[in-house]
Amino acid sequence: MNESHYEVFARKDRGDPLRHIGYLDALDDELARVYAWKTYDEERWFEMCVVPRAAIIPVNRTDGPFARNEARR
Amino acid sequence: MTPEKTVVTAQDIDSSAREGLRRALLALADGKRLMGIRYSDWLLGAPSIETGIAASSMAQDEWGHARLLYSMLKDFGMDPTEVEHGRAAQEYANPPALDESLDDWAALVAASVVVDGALSVALEGFSEGVYEPARSRVPKMLVEEAFHHDLAVAWFRKLAEGSPEGRTRLCAAALSMLGSTLAWLAPADEVGQAQSASGLVPEGPVLLSHFVERYGELLARVDIDVVAVDPERDAWDSARGRGPGCPDEEAVSRARGDLNRMLLVE
Repeated sequence: MNESHYEVFARKDRGDPLRHIGYLDALDDELARVYAWKTYDEERWFEMCVVPRAAIIPVNRTDGPFARNEARR
Repeated sequence: MTPEKTVVTAQDIDSSAREGLRRALLALADGKRLMGIRYSDWLLGAPSIETGIAASSMAQDEWGHARLLYSMLKDFGMDPTEVEHGRAAQEYANPPALDESLDDWAALVAASVVVDGALSVALEGFSEGVYEPARSRVPKMLVEEAFHHDLAVAWFRKLAEGSPEGRTRLCAAALSMLGSTLAWLAPADEVGQAQSASGLVPEGPVLLSHFVERYGELLARVDIDVVAVDPERDAWDSARGRGPGCPDEEAVSRARGDLNRMLLVE
């Protein structure tokens, strides 16, 4: 299986900051949506979204999980 | 759309339609209970941890829905505790495709499209009918079911486009489930027709067309023409509203909680 990493973000109430709550691996965006909702369901989230880790552009770090994205650009 | 007149209690429904509604409620509740067991079988051994967690969550959803539907049977003079914990396997009214455990992931994906899909179509029909308790309680279930649908469709597409073996298994499993499930979804007997005539649920052909609209294109990806599949009505059991057979004893024992409820008996 050729899965990709996704980062999961959510906010509890309208107006709250969107915060990073975890990550997951999925075959595609649609499965990532479902896995996120079913995995991180300990709260009654107002909003949740997933972002492919590969889409995150590092701004100030040259190490860490997102630095590889910069190297690929 | 809200019907002009709804009914608040089963006592306000004429007796033949009431029997149809009771049977449909029990069939839905049993279907959800067995679907939950089949999802739970894949908490471990699913293709990824995330998929196993999703299966676990969907099992919980199904059991929660089943509990709510069983509790609605009180309105029909039935004791929900007895219904949940006291019935023999031969009394279960679930779709026959859930009678046996599902051998592999392809079969689970096929069941999540064909059977869980049919359960949702039936539930939707129920929520659009004139029975007020269903109209108020079913919509939340349908919100949860939307994620089951999304997972089922995404996995079905993956397997359909994947290895020849995966595609073959998926097609065989879906085909083996369709005939009996369509018959369960749209009973053509007198009891089923009586409740449709009373506006409690849509007529069988309408439910079938909803199923085809939702899943016809998806099933065509493995060359299944769902319109050409005949509902299997041979040896129809009108008391339960399903074809012959019953769930395996192990599944029913788990559904009833036999082993651990025995510990409570003084």
